[in-house]
Amino acid sequence: MPEQVAAVEPKPNNSTPERPGDSMPDLPPSAERAAAKFVYASGSQPLAGYTIKRGVGHGGFGEIYYATSDAGKEVALKLVRRNLDIELRGIQHCLNLKHPNLLSLFDIRQDDRGDTWVVMEYISGGHMEDAIVAHPNGMPADEALAWFHGIAAGVAYLHDRGIVHRDLKPGNIFADEGVVKVGDYGLSKFISCSRRSGQTESVGTVHYMAPEVANGRYGKEIDIYALGIILYEMLTGRVPFEGQSVGEVLMKHLTARPDLAALAEPYRSVVARALEKDPQRRFRSVPEMIAALPAPAQVPPGAARLPSGAAVGLGVSGGASGGLPPLSGHAVKAQVVDEEPIYRALRDAAAKLRTAWTEANLATPVKVILLVFGLFVLLASWQVLIPLAIMALAFYGLYWVIRKSVVEHHGPVTAAVRPAVSPQTSPAAAAPGRYGPAYARTRRGRPPANRWHAERPAAIMVLRPPRERFAQLVGSLLIGAIVAVAMSVVMVLLFSYHNARPGPEQCAWLGLMSIAATWSVLVPSKFWEGTRGEVSSRRFIMMLIGLALGALAFALAATLMVELPYTRNFPEPSNYRFPAAFYSGGRPLAMAYMACFGTLFLVLRWWRQADPLRNSRLSVWSMIVSVAMAAVVASAWHFPQPWLPMVAGAVSVSVQLASPWVHPNKRLRPQNV
Amino acid sequence: MDPSQPGHFMLWVDAVGGFLVCLADEVTIGQPVPCRAVDVPILADISSRHARIIRDGESYLIDAIRQVRLDGRAVSRAELLANGSRIVLGEGVRLKFRRPHALSSTVRLDFDSRHRTQPAADAVLLMADSCVLGPDPRSHVVCRDWPNEVILYRHGEQLYCRTSGSFEVDGFRCKGRGRITHNSRVEGDEFSIKLEEI
Repeated sequence: MPEQVAAVEPKPNNSTPERPGDSMPDLPPSAERAAAKFVYASGSQPLAGYTIKRGVGHGGFGEIYYATSDAGKEVALKLVRRNLDIELRGIQHCLNLKHPNLLSLFDIRQDDRGDTWVVMEYISGGHMEDAIVAHPNGMPADEALAWFHGIAAGVAYLHDRGIVHRDLKPGNIFADEGVVKVGDYGLSKFISCSRRSGQTESVGTVHYMAPEVANGRYGKEIDIYALGIILYEMLTGRVPFEGQSVGEVLMKHLTARPDLAALAEPYRSVVARALEKDPQRRFRSVPEMIAALPAPAQVPPGAARLPSGAAVGLGVSGGASGGLPPLSGHAVKAQVVDEEPIYRALRDAAAKLRTAWTEANLATPVKVILLVFGLFVLLASWQVLIPLAIMALAFYGLYWVIRKSVVEHHGPVTAAVRPAVSPQTSPAAAAPGRYGPAYARTRRGRPPANRWHAERPAAIMVLRPPRERFAQLVGSLLIGAIVAVAMSVVMVLLFSYHNARPGPEQCAWLGLMSIAATWSVLVPSKFWEGTRGEVSSRRFIMMLIGLALGALAFALAATLMVELPYTRNFPEPSNYRFPAAFYSGGRPLAMAYMACFGTLFLVLRWWRQADPLRNSRLSVWSMIVSVAMAAVVASAWHFPQPWLPMVAGAVSVSVQLASPWVHPNKRLRPQNV
Repeated sequence: MDPSQPGHFMLWVDAVGGFLVCLADEVTIGQPVPCRAVDVPILADISSRHARIIRDGESYLIDAIRQVRLDGRAVSRAELLANGSRIVLGEGVRLKFRRPHALSSTVRLDFDSRHRTQPAADAVLLMADSCVLGPDPRSHVVCRDWPNEVILYRHGEQLYCRTSGSFEVDGFRCKGRGRITHNSRVEGDEFSIKLEEI
């Protein structure tokens, strides 16, 4: 017996494609005529421009001929049987599909007799059946994987274009000089049901048919099922479900469990999942199925190319001339990490908390209640938390200084590639660089040492003409004032748990300060809106504004003769060694006010809360952060609590509610993010 | 041998393949060039007159005009070809020389490399006296699904076709055997072949 079959090059002496081999002698043969007889003889020219040379085989829809054009171009001509209704228009989008693993369709023509012909690429190599027949006990895993990756790449492309193959079987899969080609795709979709009752149905198809096809309702999962059967057949040499009749095979598809004992892992579990009776339990997509399999030892040319947007786990080795798979932003995001680990861990924890919060899908009143409760808890443990926080910060600062000096001594930190949080858990957080403001990804509060880093809006905002913006600003200021007053009332209620309800002067002070602070955030933000700018300079400007605010606060307090009392449990200021200008007789002086407000405005990026391109109109998280930061600042400067946090909270909410906000759907997205 | 009669033709066997059949005792193998008559044109990086295969009665010789390797060793002059010999022309063209049928000195050249003849054929048949097509694996052209053998043979200058049962040659009914030309079409109940002069 002659030569053995090499990797993906079966012998060219192919006979009828749909006879799957010795494993299925029981099914009745198809076709009205003998296998080698064809309607058209060699030399005939049913289509202008092509001369038939010989018949090649009988496919599911009709005969296939080998022909050459007048110039000598080889093509395969498929004659579609007359008793099939075929919608020509529907096939049009199959015509222009291009993929290295798909057999090219050139044209669809009608001859003078009204028959339809499909002009397609001619493959001189054999088809996959020959390879399967040549390995009656299953082919080596590497060869099977090479075939499979090629087939899967082609099928994945089809699915990506919304086309279900519906007729995957070894008879439709070819090897063209080592490149796997999947053929006959999409044609079955456009042939009406009349063929299903015909007895000339190609019988090989039923062995690869998913159970739900009998019901008529199916989607791309049937291709996954067929791929599972094909994988099984490649590795064992026979199909999992055989029978004496079409009905028996179909029944086995519906009810019988495949015998997977002959398969080793990981193929066993992959095939098991692909052959699930319930389509929802199979692999969701071809790339998912590929990812569960090992990569072939040598990637055949073209097989590595999966449609873009799919995560590919292939390690491409040695001459993948088909091209590297394009990486999508969702699967892998290379992120240069040069921040030190504690901070990164904290940031990750914060991000996870945020996403958990937003995904908890709580109703707003529930959220508010939770928040208020949380605030109460925080406030109750005030005296413990603040010293702890200060100590932690001090230690951290020391550690950071040491680390920085050590690291710089040893050279720059190498950039590590870090995969993003998996897309299933946090879709919003995983890809903010595409459609959300880029601010979220920059580090808070700590600009890198030797670089001014600029803020880049990821979405573009169309800047309105100045007059309109001015009008907008005025509107915001008005709204801001109203909301600020309302918020200060809320704050008073929130913080009056100590039974020390602030007196009217203090409320007035609070309200006026809130209004002033809100305005002093809204105005510069309006100037900065939608533009890039350097964070540090903005912070500086805000700090100056804060200092001015502090002076105003002092002036107000003096004018209204407000005593901002310290809460009962707060230590007396006389124990502290602040310069005399700060405090006298236990009451904060101008310097203290200015220091507090200035620091508060320096530390937080207030303009972000007024950004029209922020993530959401009102972010409770921003408010919480503002309040917390204000609390820390106030205790650092030993300013009487809880006045600064109240102002901060009121300002945060007012700014967010008052400044314009563009709904994400209405935003312009830049072309290259 | 009539020099005006071309020494080769394409044999198209439905559902099996297309074959380049050469009748001459001496065939030239090389790159297809328009000016020169190459008996076995191969689309490859070889010379237009790269080698010759000469039939001498029952045995075959290969005459290396350019670089030829036979079973791994370089061929400097004519060497005898045996069943199963592997021929390498130039750098990459790998051929396998086989004489499958014991009763016929027709040989078959298959491509081990991915090169193809021009016009493309699945294999090259150097036909001596007969060419056997049938299900037997020792046939020159293996047709797995045919029930019977079909034999093309030469008698003098003329080609004939022989098989059991009746068949049609160019529309004429024959029984047992019939005369064919280089452009005939032969159809039986279970087979269909066409010869095409090139």
